[in-house]
Parts: sequence; structure tokens; C-alpha cells
Amino acid sequence: MTKKITQVFAKEGPFAKTFSHYQPREAQIQMAESVHQAIVDRQQLLVEAGTGTGKTYAYLVPTLLSGKKAIISTGTKNLQEQLYLRDLPVVQKILGSSAQTALLKGRSNYLCLYRLEVNHHQLPDYDRDVSSEIAKIRQWASETVDGDLGSLTHIEEDSRAIPYVTSTVENCLGKDCPYFTDCYVVKARKKALEADLVVVNHHLFFADMALKDTGFGELIPNADVLVFDEAHQVPDIATDYFGEGVSTRQMLELARDVRVEFRTHIRDMDQLGKSADKLEHAVSDMRLQFPDQTERGRWHIKFNQPNVQDAFFELKKALAFLYDVLKLAIGRSEAIDRYFERCIELKNKLSKFEDMHSANTILWYETTKRHLVLRLTPLSIADKFSEYIRRSQMAWVFTSATLSVDDSFHHFTEHLGLSHAKTAIYPSPFDYPHQALLCVPRFLPEPNSPDMGDAFVRTALPLIEAAKGRTFLLFTSYRMMLEVGTKLKALTDLPLLVQGTTSKRMMLERFTRLRQAVLLGTASFWEGIDVRGDALTCVMIDKLPFASPADPLLQAKAEVVQRQGLDPFATQQLPQAVISLKQGVGRLIRDVSDQGVLVICDNRLVTRPYGEVFIKSLPPMKRTRDLDQAVRFLKAMK
Amino acid sequence: MNPAHFTFACQQIAALYRQGKRIQVWTSSQEDACLVDEILWTFESDSFIPHNLENEGPRYGAPVEIAWTQTKSKREILVNLAENAPAFASNYKQIIDFVPTQEALKQLARERFKHYRGLGYTMQTIDTE
Repeated sequence: MTKKITQVFAKEGPFAKTFSHYQPREAQIQMAESVHQAIVDRQQLLVEAGTGTGKTYAYLVPTLLSGKKAIISTGTKNLQEQLYLRDLPVVQKILGSSAQTALLKGRSNYLCLYRLEVNHHQLPDYDRDVSSEIAKIRQWASETVDGDLGSLTHIEEDSRAIPYVTSTVENCLGKDCPYFTDCYVVKARKKALEADLVVVNHHLFFADMALKDTGFGELIPNADVLVFDEAHQVPDIATDYFGEGVSTRQMLELARDVRVEFRTHIRDMDQLGKSADKLEHAVSDMRLQFPDQTERGRWHIKFNQPNVQDAFFELKKALAFLYDVLKLAIGRSEAIDRYFERCIELKNKLSKFEDMHSANTILWYETTKRHLVLRLTPLSIADKFSEYIRRSQMAWVFTSATLSVDDSFHHFTEHLGLSHAKTAIYPSPFDYPHQALLCVPRFLPEPNSPDMGDAFVRTALPLIEAAKGRTFLLFTSYRMMLEVGTKLKALTDLPLLVQGTTSKRMMLERFTRLRQAVLLGTASFWEGIDVRGDALTCVMIDKLPFASPADPLLQAKAEVVQRQGLDPFATQQLPQAVISLKQGVGRLIRDVSDQGVLVICDNRLVTRPYGEVFIKSLPPMKRTRDLDQAVRFLKAMK
Repeated sequence: MNPAHFTFACQQIAALYRQGKRIQVWTSSQEDACLVDEILWTFESDSFIPHNLENEGPRYGAPVEIAWTQTKSKREILVNLAENAPAFASNYKQIIDFVPTQEALKQLARERFKHYRGLGYTMQTIDTE
């Protein structure tokens, strides 16, 4: 089989026949071979493959050649589509593979026929945008084959219409639904179960694994090979799904559903209406105990405040009352039975936030504009996850361009309990010392200094002029992004695209189209975007991307690490920031012919001993502290 | 252009930093300070030296600080790369200075040598050839 892999990638092999100027890449072949070995041995493998290694083909080839049932999971829907529509067909054609493949997305990506039907009749009439979009969706609904809303190009991904035409675990009627036989979610899952290779995303995968979407959970046991691309995201996403949450939104929705049922079908039970009112009241009172602006924090601190505790117990009482009332109504309608179950679930979840003494979980909360979410996150998922892997008897491959920190996978294996995994690092084939320049300008104020905004603007001006736009300015905070945006606007004629006005996708489209724009975005722009060639030549970052020390999860973990006598900064914050920065750098150089300048306006990279960890983990770009040199580098580029 | 002994000086700074020492580097000008800064910053990644220039960095300075008008914090070792010994030269346990091969610079180094001896330092010379 290894021989076969070598042949596939060989100079006169099938790849060479498909791509002109094909050159075999040693790292790619080695990676393919190690993936193959992991499949044969049903082992766990961690592979860091630097940008340009060709890791996608390196795992697709051995996976398809093995003929085994496989799941490929990647970071985002966009990457799923790229993999499924672009890469997979190419490799299948090259290998002459007739494997059945399927693309499976999360529930909220598929049209729900029932909700479309119900909601287009009873929309709140104040929302014209939503109504007109739903009209468009209705039009499309008569033509779609798979119900995948991703093919609806004229509706934005974050459109407010989407929740009206898709289902959630809570509001799905399941087998009782009049549209069950035509359900797109069911159809997509069925197709996925029958396929030899399924492309999913991490959220979907872990929802399935943690059985967070009931009636599912059949996908993974069905597979022999699991490949996680963009695997650096896995620890956080997995941890989320091993956790639990309960939100005031869910409670409010339940209250509303119960009231509708009372008014339409069970008019004789006044108590139903009353219990719904009571719950609604308790929910809004609970939210009022928290500041208007959004925040995240440790739950036990809030729970110690008498007003929060009172509101909490009122909420609990309201749910208990609703429970009692619904119990009396059981059997009156199918809806009531489902609401009863939802009520039990909410009640159980809420009760978990009374116990402040569980050593293995972190209780925290976050607020949105109108709602409060209480969250319970396991302190470590290593035991559970490794046990799951051990039992699964499958091959687990984790790959990403950014998995290691200072040549070590320790932080990753520790988090997921993968101590037996084989590891490999394949460096990027790019000539970083010549293709890229890393500049940390001199005499910058310390990060968080009030002068930082002005200093950033002063630094950015000569760079964006030299680069003729074609620059990303990336920020760790919205505040800084807006400040720099405002100040820069007065000083340059180059078009500025500031995050927040349109969607990320539209911004990127405009950035590429304008060819001389400066894009200002927050850290979310760092990942998963691919601007090839000279459209992007300069990336500026305001600050090393350390997670906020106020983050409740980070705080809780730091306490535990400290008790073990370890340094929470070195074990938690540093590796995570290194991985994010590596991601950011990866945006700049996507190809052997790309060139670019990375400017990091955070002198801690030079002045603090931990700068060494960053420098050792980043690709070997040429370094300077001289801003003029960066400007000259940009000017010398075509 | 780097004065030839700057690179050599930076290697000495690296060695001292690895021994856990906090070092004050003194230069004649901001320009020279930036040269030292650039040499340290472009060292191989496994000889990383956290350092700062005057007017930047943490409150008490990085392990290595490069200055030309004033110093920020008390340190054990002074590495002098300026033509004249600084006025505060007597504050250090140890001073490291260099005698370049160029005749005019060599003469200045002799002056500094005398000055340090006058301050009561025990002098030791090391041949680097």
C-alpha cells in the first residue's frame, strides 16, 4: 500500500498527469504514508503540516485507498464545501475511486419545511426584511434538491430570517412532523450514513459524539477512520460539547410555546397561561440582575450576590410550577408532552447551577443583550475523550498547519488525553527567510497603554502607503479597531473596510475586488481565510493574541494549574496565543511565490523571555525592528 | 554598518543572559543602540535574548537593556559600547568593554581602561584572536 501511495504522488504518477508543473513533495508523501500507517494500525496520529505541504491530499489519498468508512471533519462550513466540492472530486478522479461521498452540515443549515410553512403565516409584521427574505426562501424552496441553505447565495449567512425556516433540537417535531418523510435533515443524515466518506465540521462531529443532537449519534460508530483537519480547534470545540448550558432564551421560548398551546388548543387550563406568565416574568427578572452590556464571568461570584440568588430561586420555582401544571396536562396534546419534556430538561440543567462545590466542572455565565446563559464546562475532557478513543478502535488523525508550540504537541495531547498518539511535524516548503519579513517596530508604548492607538496609526501609515492598500490590520479588541479606523480615515485616501458593517464574506470579496483596500478586523479574521497572491501583502497585528485573563474558563483552569504548582501562563495562555499567532501568520504566505510583511505592534515579543517561544514556533521569517526596512520590502514587491 | 565588535559584544551579552544576568548595554547614540537591538533580535531563534531600548519595554526593563541617555534600573553588569565610559560607570559589579582593532578606537579604549582603573575596578583583559 505504501508503494501505491508513493506511486500516486510520483513524478510520472497520476497526480503529475492531472496537474501541470507537478513536483512530488517529500513531506506530502511522508505524511500520506504516516496517515496510511495510522489507518492500518487503528492508531492516533497528530500531524502538523506547514502551509503548502499539501496536507489535504496527503490524508485524502490514503483514506480513499484504504477503502474504509471515513469521516473527515474540518473547521468551518466554507472549508467543508471546499473539501467536498473541490478537493475530494479531484482526488477521487485521480485514484479512480468510486467511493460514495456525502456532505453533512449542522441542522441549522437545512431548510425546515414545517417551520417555513408555519412561520410565513405568522410572522411579526414589523420586520419587513425578514418577511421579504422568507418570501425569497419560499421561492427557492420549490426548487432545492437538498435543502442546503448554503446554496442560497442571495441570503446572508447570519440573516435574521434563517431561524424562522430552520429547526433546532428543541423545536424539531421529529417523527411527529407532518413533513418528516421530506425532511432535509433526515435525508442528509441518511445519505451520510450510507456514504463511504462523509465530510462534516467539528461542531457537528462533537455534537454527535456528545449526543447533543438526539436521534443522531449513529454517525461515528459507523466509521473506521476519522480525520480532523484544522485540528487545532478541536480542544476548545470538544470541551464545549462535553459541557452543558441552559439559557433564559430556551425558557422564554418554552413559555411562549406553552401560551400558544393554551390559547389555541387547551383553552380550559388557565393555569397553563399563568405558569407561562410566571416563567416569563422570572426570566426577565433574572436577566435584570446582570449589567446591560454583555459579559462573561464566574457563576459562583454572581451566585453569592443575594439579588442574583433570589432571582435564581424564583426562576427555579417558576419552572417547578410550570412542571406541575404541564404534568396535569400530559396527554392533552402531543405538543404538551414535548413541552413537558423540555421543562424537565431545563429544570434539571438549572439545578446544576446550585452546587458550587463540584471539583471537576467550571460554572460560568455569559450575557447577551437580552439573555443569560449559564454554562457548565468540564475542567478536563482528557479522561473522557481518551476513553472514547480507546473504545472506538478507529484510526484518529489530527492535522493542522498549527498544532505544535516550540516543536511540542504537549498542550494538545494533554488537553485531549492523547498521550499514546504518534506525532509528526512537516515544515512548510516555503522559503520564509526570503518570502516574509517580521517586524516589531521600535519605541512602541506598552500594550494597553492609552497611546497605543496613535502609535499603531503612526506605524500603519507608511506601511499601507508602501503596500498600496493590500493590508489587513488585525486587532485583539473592537475598541482599538474602531479607534484606529477613525484616526486612519482622516489620514489616508486608501479605502478602509472596517469589520462590523457587512459580513465577513462580503468584506473579503470587496477587499479582493478593490485591490488596494485596507481591512480592519478582529481576531476572527485570523482563521480560515485564504487570500492568495499579491492581493494581501501586509498584515499588522496590534497585540499578541493572549486570551483575556478575565475569561472565566481561563481563570478557573489557571487556579487548578496553580494548585498543581505549575505556571498557568506557560501552560495555558502561552500555547494558545502561539497557535493563534501562527494562524495569523499563515494568512500572509499561501504560496511559493507569495511575499509579505508581518508587523506585530507588541514589543513584548522582543522584551519578554517568552518571546522565544513565539519566535521558535513561527515560520523562520526574516526579522527586523526597523520599520523602514519593512517599508522598503513592501516597495520592492511588485 | 555594524562596528565589528558589536556582533562580538552581542555574543557576550547572550552568554551572560544565559547565566541569568541582567545587563545594561551603553552606546554612544540611538543609532548605535538600534544596531545592537537589530543584532540581538536577528539572532538564531535558539539564542533569543529578551531586550529593550531606552524608552520602551516593561517598567524595570527587559533582562538586557540598551541605553544611550539614561538607564532605567539597577543592574549588575555594564556592557559599554560607547566611546566614553558613562558617568555612572562606578555603579556596576562588572563592566565589559572592548578594544577594537582600529587605531583611533583603540586609543579611546585605552582612555576608558584608565578611567575604569581610576574608579577602582580590577582590570582583566581577554584576547579574542
